Amino acid sequence: MAKHKTPLLDQLESGPWPSFVSDLKAQAEKRAKNVEGVEFQIPQDCIADLLGVVELSYKHGRTHWKHGGIVGVFGYGGGVIGRYCDQPKLFPGVEHFHTMRVNQPAGKYYTTDYLRSLTKLWDLRGSGVFNMHGATGDIILLGTTTPQLEEVFWTLTHDMGQDLGGSGSNLRTPADCLGQSRCEYACYDTNALVYFLTNQYQDELHRPAFPYKFKFKLDGCPNCCVASIARSDMSFIGTWRDDIRIDQDAVNKYVENAAGYPANAGAFRGSRDWGKFDLEKEVLGLCPTKCMMFKNKKLSIDNANCTRCMHCINVMPRALKIGKDTGLSILVGAKAPILDGAQMGSLLVPFVEVNPGNDYEAITQVIENVWDWWMEEGKNRERLGELIMRQGFQKLLEVTGIEAMPQHVSYPRTNPYIFWKEDEVEGGWERDVDEYRKHHLR
Amino acid sequence: MAFISTGYNPAKPMENRITDIGPKDYNDFYPPVIAKNKGKWSHHEILEPGVLVHVGDSGDELYTVRVGGARIMSTGHINEICDIADKHCNGYVRFTTRNNIEFMVDSKDKVEPLKNDLKSRKFAGGSFKFPIGGTGAGVTNIVHTQGWIHCHTPATDASGTVKAAMDVLFSDFQDMRLPAQLRVSMACCLNMCGAVHCSDIAILGYHRKPPMLDHEYLDKVCEIPLAISACPTAAIKPAKVKLADGKEVKSVEVKNERCMYCGNCYTMCPSMPLADADGDGIVLMAGGKVSNRISAPKFSKVVVAFLPNEMPRWPSMTATIKRMVDAYAKGANKYERMGDWADRIGWEKFFDACEIEFTHHLIDDFRQQAYMSWRQTTQFKF
Amino acid sequence: MSDLLANKEAAVQAVVEWMTKKAGNKTKFYFNDFSKIFPDDKPRDIKKVVNKMVEEEILEYWSSGSTTMYGLKGSGIQHSSEGEE
Repeated sequence: MAKHKTPLLDQLESGPWPSFVSDLKAQAEKRAKNVEGVEFQIPQDCIADLLGVVELSYKHGRTHWKHGGIVGVFGYGGGVIGRYCDQPKLFPGVEHFHTMRVNQPAGKYYTTDYLRSLTKLWDLRGSGVFNMHGATGDIILLGTTTPQLEEVFWTLTHDMGQDLGGSGSNLRTPADCLGQSRCEYACYDTNALVYFLTNQYQDELHRPAFPYKFKFKLDGCPNCCVASIARSDMSFIGTWRDDIRIDQDAVNKYVENAAGYPANAGAFRGSRDWGKFDLEKEVLGLCPTKCMMFKNKKLSIDNANCTRCMHCINVMPRALKIGKDTGLSILVGAKAPILDGAQMGSLLVPFVEVNPGNDYEAITQVIENVWDWWMEEGKNRERLGELIMRQGFQKLLEVTGIEAMPQHVSYPRTNPYIFWKEDEVEGGWERDVDEYRKHHLR
Repeated sequence: MAFISTGYNPAKPMENRITDIGPKDYNDFYPPVIAKNKGKWSHHEILEPGVLVHVGDSGDELYTVRVGGARIMSTGHINEICDIADKHCNGYVRFTTRNNIEFMVDSKDKVEPLKNDLKSRKFAGGSFKFPIGGTGAGVTNIVHTQGWIHCHTPATDASGTVKAAMDVLFSDFQDMRLPAQLRVSMACCLNMCGAVHCSDIAILGYHRKPPMLDHEYLDKVCEIPLAISACPTAAIKPAKVKLADGKEVKSVEVKNERCMYCGNCYTMCPSMPLADADGDGIVLMAGGKVSNRISAPKFSKVVVAFLPNEMPRWPSMTATIKRMVDAYAKGANKYERMGDWADRIGWEKFFDACEIEFTHHLIDDFRQQAYMSWRQTTQFKF
Repeated sequence: MSDLLANKEAAVQAVVEWMTKKAGNKTKFYFNDFSKIFPDDKPRDIKKVVNKMVEEEILEYWSSGSTTMYGLKGSGIQHSSEGEE
């Protein structure tokens, strides 16, 4: 018998998509029965109460949670978000119900041994409810009490070799796509770089000293599956600067609609029949720079005019491969609309090598130059993108020591209002008015 | 229940403390076939919705079955995922950026038993636990935020709107009939913990009323300067307020017309609650993308200024989303994302095709970027 | 590094005094506010001292989730209003 009636939530149990209500109900029942004899360290009926409080929100159309900023684990400024229910009498099981962020592994691969150790810990010391995963990428442990925070952290660090993720004004938990581990498009090893950067910048991740949040996201190629270009202050997007590799036999297999060569790797194998694959129309015709030709069964690409949009490679992955001279582009300043409007990442470094041999020196140098500037100049709660808007992209180039190049802009400025620096103008700004008056009467 | 200590001593927090160890090493979590073929994959193919094969230069094959899942999941559910992974996948499993779960096997004959096992599992309420799909030119899982499950400033629920939307879009999760992939994202307030601003379709919770002021308690539970400095539009200033009993208290005053309903003040000060049954609801945005494929990444545009919260299944919202998806499926060219389609036919035709009413709220008036969105040409369609 | 920041005891005292003086008005400060105490120092150097003060339980964090602030440990009214006394 459920502790609280949930007639509104019950209506979210039907339909094909996995129902979080059904899952939470099963979890409430599991805790109530406690077949495994877990010595629950937070109220046994917390999930029953969670269902109750969410039902109340469905009735009221309003949230019943309050924020708390005090709680955390000692010495860390992030990784824990304080939550309190605003109806603790009705739902005592969730009166204190804090979130912990656990730094997810690169590529989000897991062994079941690891996941089971996590579920065991969270059944004992928390609600037993997770987000897999949070928007930034962390494993989210949803709901525990204040005394359990240090205990959970202790078990994570001592028994599982696992640290928390970030929150607040610090480096947020970096996130990546699965990269070369399972993707032929990946231009660099995203898993290795995200692991390196996360470890390299642990202090920045745990001890907030930035003006605001700062996000790294790593995409292996311009398809941008982790959306780094839209939602990270610094995005690392794989690219190459030599030629797309062409297997002419395979190109012709696609042209012939041969078995095993479906357009776009089979992405259109659905209920709709798009007809036969048409190379001219679907690849050459859609190429944004029209840099491809197909003549006498031979495909040629004018690579100097290719912008590496991935379309042709996505359509014919068996025929076309990314180049061999690979690296990544760094874009900076992306953010969601709050406050001055959304910003997409802007290209700062067109190409940089990805070299684990020297600890990714070329990359960390850019990161640290940018941070030094933002830490000095950024106002409270000013994202990097907003600082770049306020002080200018030219300033960003200056602090990072990067030469301006046409790749930095979509088009040059449309106004001539250039704020020249004095040393850029011959003779400077100090002039002799008397000399001037010799030739120009008052 | 008795408190079980790990050994942590609150009096000496630094004693035996381990910090700054970062995440687990991914190398320990790779299935052997991944570890072996990493960086040496030749190509991949989507065999059917939700089933992929990756082929290594070595000739090795890796079959992946992708299933959807509610982002919020219990230990019971995760343990069940582990049981499946132990039974079929040698104890390895992975999650995708969009909250899908991927079960990987190293030979083709293992695919059908895995699929059948996944399909057979249902929740008590009847929904699938592990629906197979989410690949290619279809709708994949919705990335979303916490909503009423756990957040203090949401304007709607996240899990519920997502469940309702995915039930309506379910056939497109298991099909690949669309002109290109279609990414739906959900954020429960304008702060966008889930950055939804570059999605084909974005569901956004939105408040429309400035905070209430609990004057009697405000100075007792909040630091007034913090509440003031939390406001991104400088709409809050200190004030002396006379209560009904004549007592004068320190409090704040909100310039309502400057308020953008972000809830940052409520984060700092629980005496400034924002949520409201009539004020809160849903904004729908459309036409964004993050991929650099063919066209540059682009922001989503607001296409519905407001829909009320209709618990528990948000029918007006899901009907509008369904109309957009169907109109897109009908109108767009192969490979064309929703935003590219709208740009090609013109947004005036987008509203026609999707049967969405255009209202004055959809014309940008927020700061300088607004100008960029107005029409500066005589080229338009009637 | 300035002489003040280099002398840990003096640096700690300067932070405590500055925060105490402001306490009538507010008790939580952004990291950038420390640059008012150490105007000539690099943020990274200031951070080292501030981290140490957190470890020694002189300072504590307060987090809005998206931003983090610093205060003297136990100061302000958040402990009681958040029920964490």
